[in-house]
Amino acid sequence: MVETKNPVANSVMVLREEFDDWAVLFNPDTGQAFGMNPISVYIWKNLDGKHPVGEIVKDIRVNYNNVPGEVDEHVNKFIADLVERGFVGYKA
Amino acid sequence: MKRKIMKTPKSVDLATTNNCNLRCKYCSHFSSPGEVAGDLPTEEWLQFIEELGRCSVMNLTLEGGETFVRKDLKKIIDAIVKNGMRFSILSNGTLITEEWAEFLASTGRCSSVQVSIDGSIPVTHDSCRGEGTFHKALQGLANLRKYKLSATVRMTIHRKNVRDIEGVARLLIDELGLSGFSTNSASHMGTCKQNAEQVQLTVEERGLAMESLLLVNKKYGGRVGAMAGPLAEAKHWTKMVQAEREGAKPFSGGGYLTSCGGPMNKIAIRADGVMVPCLQLCTIELGRINKDSLADVWQNHPELWRFRERREIPLTNFEFCKDCKFIPYCRGNCPALADTFLGDPYHPSPDACLKRFLEAGGKLPDEKLLMEKEACACV
Repeated sequence: MVETKNPVANSVMVLREEFDDWAVLFNPDTGQAFGMNPISVYIWKNLDGKHPVGEIVKDIRVNYNNVPGEVDEHVNKFIADLVERGFVGYKA
Repeated sequence: MKRKIMKTPKSVDLATTNNCNLRCKYCSHFSSPGEVAGDLPTEEWLQFIEELGRCSVMNLTLEGGETFVRKDLKKIIDAIVKNGMRFSILSNGTLITEEWAEFLASTGRCSSVQVSIDGSIPVTHDSCRGEGTFHKALQGLANLRKYKLSATVRMTIHRKNVRDIEGVARLLIDELGLSGFSTNSASHMGTCKQNAEQVQLTVEERGLAMESLLLVNKKYGGRVGAMAGPLAEAKHWTKMVQAEREGAKPFSGGGYLTSCGGPMNKIAIRADGVMVPCLQLCTIELGRINKDSLADVWQNHPELWRFRERREIPLTNFEFCKDCKFIPYCRGNCPALADTFLGDPYHPSPDACLKRFLEAGGKLPDEKLLMEKEACACV
């Protein structure tokens, strides 16, 4: 089932941005850290409860070059993974 | 060209206090440049912890002195949690009550608490730490474990406990059921410099410590660790001798002052709020918290950059290393020890020099004592 509510990042998570636009997503409750590429960082920053996934995908197509056709599938999968890990929820 | 660095340090060591309830004979803090007048008031730490949170620092290490003497420690830890960080604590263990352990566990953010245990019996542990400290430290350790905190143990090896290494392993691993412990030796810093005759290992004792540690480590399947001190030296020096004998290619980072990676990912704060590269290297002052921006100091301070670029200095530059056949396998060792011996952190440390150890009559342990996975010379 496709989620229609807007995704929102768990406020506990810490995004450590680096000079090369990559970042580390850190969960201080567990100590786990994950490397994020620049597109993932862009998506993460838009998980503020104000942006539907469709809008985030549209923005990626506008702002980045060589975006693959199946980008919406990738973004949905990425967000679903974040939800499964408890890093993201959906705004009611 | 400047090396690539992170935007801000990933970890920060905080000397939360100058004070300690003990006066260990080999303390690296007292009588060192890190012993400064006065502790910072609570508000200063809380303000700085907010900045650390804004900088997305991930881990803090609380030390001292003894961090548990601070009456406002709970407030400091609450601020660390509130600002999205985890923390570890280095402690002598003697003030860790059940109430403290319960509080630390309740935060859900405590990565580990390291307790110092230097002997298997009071006479060896207390010899340098003071009467009654053995039982108190063990009680502190038990309190931490009761609340399922990650409690680690560090044994500092000195002249009075060098023959008790196997006893400590038996106590910690067999009797208490710890997964392992780490080791170091009394280093020529702080109070240890004044008590060097009493506490610092002689060349013979250093050889004995190396052999005992390798034996114990092998017996317990690699459950004894070391980043420095006799066990680390036993492993590294044995491999250096082997590599030189076999004409092996240089070790990664060998031939340069590459041993310390600290300034690439962490920074430290003295008890008076002065930023330094490391709490063992308090002579390089980089700025003051709540006055200078941490990110600015981290990214731009020329002394910190000079310290990072220490790794580009070849050992062949030093008269000290002249004619040394181990240069391709040597990384120059701890800059703080070089500083304490020579007043120059941009020099190889004379303390952890294999050539000097052998020239002084030191004997390395039998290579067969290395565990199989450690025995390869191609590091």
